[in-house]
Amino acid sequence: MSQKTTNAPDEVQAEIYKKREKIYPREVHGMFARLRVAAVLALLGLYYVIPWLHWNGQQLVLFDLPARKFHIFGLTFWPQDFFFLAMLLVVAALALFLFTTLAGRLWCGYACPQTVWTEVFLWIERRIEGDRPRQMKLDKAPWSARKLAIKGGKHVVWILFSLWTGFTFVGYFTPIHELAVKLLHLQTGPWETFWILFYGFATYGNAGWMREQVCIYMCPYARFQSAMFDRNTLVISYDEGRGEPRGSRKRDEDYKAKGLGDCIDCTLCVQVCPTGIDIRDGLQYQCIGCAACVDVCDQVMDKMGYPKGLIRYTTENAMQGKGTRVLRPRIVIYSIILLIIAAGLVYGLATRVPMQLDVMRDRNALYRETATGLTENVYTLRLINMEDVAHRFVLTAEGLEGLRLVADQDVFEVPGGAVVTLPVRVQVDPVHLETASSEIRFTASALDKPELHRSQTARFLGPVTR
Amino acid sequence: MGHEEQLKDIPRIQKVVSVLWPSFLTAGVATILFFTAFDPVDLGMLLGVEQLERLEAYSIGFFLFWMLTSTSCALTCYFRKPCDEFNRGQGHQR
Repeated sequence: MSQKTTNAPDEVQAEIYKKREKIYPREVHGMFARLRVAAVLALLGLYYVIPWLHWNGQQLVLFDLPARKFHIFGLTFWPQDFFFLAMLLVVAALALFLFTTLAGRLWCGYACPQTVWTEVFLWIERRIEGDRPRQMKLDKAPWSARKLAIKGGKHVVWILFSLWTGFTFVGYFTPIHELAVKLLHLQTGPWETFWILFYGFATYGNAGWMREQVCIYMCPYARFQSAMFDRNTLVISYDEGRGEPRGSRKRDEDYKAKGLGDCIDCTLCVQVCPTGIDIRDGLQYQCIGCAACVDVCDQVMDKMGYPKGLIRYTTENAMQGKGTRVLRPRIVIYSIILLIIAAGLVYGLATRVPMQLDVMRDRNALYRETATGLTENVYTLRLINMEDVAHRFVLTAEGLEGLRLVADQDVFEVPGGAVVTLPVRVQVDPVHLETASSEIRFTASALDKPELHRSQTARFLGPVTR
Repeated sequence: MGHEEQLKDIPRIQKVVSVLWPSFLTAGVATILFFTAFDPVDLGMLLGVEQLERLEAYSIGFFLFWMLTSTSCALTCYFRKPCDEFNRGQGHQR
């Protein structure tokens, strides 16, 4: 790149390094703003509170990576349960598709962490720097002690909030009470410290500095969401037929006689937009569907005494005076697939047996003969108790006539969350063996919980006797 | 506007992000899949490393994956450079 020669290098340089114009979203009040604040409070409240909650002496939600166990609402998941996580992700993706088709970018406008944390950072910024005009004035002003104090104060609050966010994040992966004690004594482990700082920095960078650029350049969903849109999808639209030609006018003027539409061209819809677009140019990829422009335009319409809804949530069909169909093939298909997979997930969770039995044949010998003339195979069984309480298991084997299972104990106690390895021998009179290799079946069942049992098949090898 | 000019129009932030961000996402997925299948403590025993902290292994594993995936993203960007630019760089104006 550096060797390239062009006719106007300065111009090209300026273009490549053109700094993005900083967006100062104006504060907005109204129904959708209140909805978003409610979503922010609910989601962030959950985020910061959940790791502190306990259930039966166990952190309610803990993705215990060091112990390779996930504790979620009293259930304990092991790496063997990865299937459920994959199913859950499929359900989440399908739900996102369904809601996008129905109501556009609801996720972006109200629930996305980027939106939610940016909203908090904007709130902090407004409390410290003031509203939009004051922020712009402050940025234009030369550096002074006052500006330094205001800007510095804002960043200190941002950083503290980010660090708390990072700490909470790590608290989902390592017990948060212990982490808090360690943090107070400045004794967090090197990687715990690293991830607190990493996530804190990501929060500070994304919500403080990157903001709408995350949605525009980094978000994969933003790139493909339009594929789920159709003419009946709820989107934010400017009613061009009603608004144009736009123009300023006095409040009590007969603007229709002047040939003007309802848009007074106050540009408030542009000023409140967090991604800095003009919704009057039509639906754009940058629009995250936050409805700030709807709120602010409705207020203006109220003040002017015009009907609300010059910018509104509507569908392309409704905008053109056609009816909007909610039940359409796309919606029905998404809903059916979603229901089936969600039902499968619930069924899978309800019938999940929280134990695992693995059988490994002894590799050193195919079989051996005992002193009494029986054929003997040796196996190693691995029993995993995936629950947090201890269980007592009995072991049985079947599949061959006169089969005898020889183990050190009759009943095995497996502590909660433990893995026990058992060497066992299986003996059969060779007259009952019809082939060199037969299938046998081991079953481990908990004595104290009848529904807790698992079976596993294995090969039994022996001499061919007939 | 030609492809080359369009490439130049991409803001710098988008160029940086297009290398570091997709690789971050795929490295995250790779880390989850890899360490779901393999317990780092078992791997450590195979390699003769004792006293391996799992959190440490996950973190290092993630950054190794990220290095790998970001290298691949960077190479993609590198090979996207239009051929004309090479000719011009060597002074062969067409």
